[in-house]
Amino acid sequence: MPAGGKLVKVSDVSKVYAASDGDVPALDRVSFDVRAGEFLAIVGPSGCGKSTLAMLIAGLYPVTSGAISVDGAAVDRPQTNLGIVFQNPVLLAWRRALDNILLQVEMRGLDPRDYRERALQLLASVGLEGFEHRYPHELSGGMRQRVSLCRALIHDPPLLLMDEPFGALDALTRDQMTLDIQRAWGRGQKTVLFITHSITEAVFLSDRIIVMTPRPGRIDTVLEVDLPRPRRLAVREDPRFAGLARAIRDRFMAHGVLHDLEQGAG
Amino acid sequence: MRWRWWRAPAVTVLGVVALWEAAVDGLHLPEYLLPAPSGVLAALAAEWRYLAIHTGVTVYEILWGFVLSILVGVPLAMVVVYSPVLERAFYPLLVASQSVPKIAIAPLLIFWAGLGIFPKVLVAFLIAFFPIVIDTVVGLRSVEPELLHLARSMGAPERRVFLKIRLPNAFPNIFAGLKVAVTLAVVGAIVGEFIQADRGLGYALLQANAMLNTRLSFATILILAAIGVLLFGFVDVLERALIPWHASRRTEMAAGTL
Repeated sequence: MPAGGKLVKVSDVSKVYAASDGDVPALDRVSFDVRAGEFLAIVGPSGCGKSTLAMLIAGLYPVTSGAISVDGAAVDRPQTNLGIVFQNPVLLAWRRALDNILLQVEMRGLDPRDYRERALQLLASVGLEGFEHRYPHELSGGMRQRVSLCRALIHDPPLLLMDEPFGALDALTRDQMTLDIQRAWGRGQKTVLFITHSITEAVFLSDRIIVMTPRPGRIDTVLEVDLPRPRRLAVREDPRFAGLARAIRDRFMAHGVLHDLEQGAG
Repeated sequence: MRWRWWRAPAVTVLGVVALWEAAVDGLHLPEYLLPAPSGVLAALAAEWRYLAIHTGVTVYEILWGFVLSILVGVPLAMVVVYSPVLERAFYPLLVASQSVPKIAIAPLLIFWAGLGIFPKVLVAFLIAFFPIVIDTVVGLRSVEPELLHLARSMGAPERRVFLKIRLPNAFPNIFAGLKVAVTLAVVGAIVGEFIQADRGLGYALLQANAMLNTRLSFATILILAAIGVLLFGFVDVLERALIPWHASRRTEMAAGTL
């Protein structure tokens, strides 16, 4: 897959959940592509179906209508050629950090001994050198999420799905994780789909940002982020950064997701 | 400060025993109503050979009943979790069957299964296996949905999901069930022996009661209590050894709340 080609194609996808009090539309005719090698963020308010979108692309839920393809093949079953990071690290309590990462290869029927070195390198790359023998309960929340990231990368998948991976972390840890993710992405030349409700994270990390409307989720706007890489935390004070963040915020206000103070109020 | 945990119960027990001894002494209670603790210990020492033989029989029944309840309970829980049809067919009946007092059907079991050790093992098993099934079902089911999503994205066959995720995830629940089961197995064996037996602690207890030998009755009950506590402790030690990640998490949480 050459850089810039379409790795993921989402065509006219809708998703309706059946609930006890009637059908709940989660996504309404969503179409977009994910280019190979790009970092694409999907940002939207809670309940806009952005997490659903990740599950649909992973083949874990069926679409109600429309079609999704990854690398040219229709998604009609759980996809295995990708890595997933959820908001919760979902580590196995009985496995040490290293063995939690190796779960990925064990579940695939591969020999974990062949991946040990790579797992240790990954741990070191996210600042967890020497923590490979710790149990999850002996790690902080940020450390657990880093182990979860290593588990999603150990089999070197071309596509990484991250569903609000920093949602449960404190602000400082989030900043550090943001930098770590950027570094991990820059090295592996992976395609990343990053689901978030944080405007700052989306602008900082992405090449492109898809802004979603509130439920049922539709694509509102697509923004290109042309800030130079690698980005440092200080890029957040850059006027172009502020402009992009404001553009997204304005869309949220237009949809009534955010309400600013009236002019002259306060 | 780990050595301190036994202090409080030890003080309680010693206090109760001292009160008991003083009460029997001071109130001049007749021996056949309530023997003094010293009398119970004396009976224990005098009859230890007799009691040891019956203890051996009862422990044998308890252990077989307990082992059977594991061998049947855990696979049954797997069936319930993996087969919705069999779950609907069996689970309600299983739960309903537990509302029938085992003591009420014990005479029938003895009648059907005959004399000897086997019917007592059967009663112990029938009482003990239920909590194992219930707790194992809960444990096998309580896997985080995201973890199952991940497992599917790893392309794992269900056999591997079971062995690497579901089963270890259920261990804490299984052990919770085992702890309840092992004490119920003690009850089951004694109930079986009460109905019909010519050996075992249940038999020894009936004999001692019939002869108004309350000293020996209390000595027998003391042994039964000790068996229950020791077996419970054995399962607890096994749990700490087999799933240290769980035990340590528990202590961590306990330390956090203190």
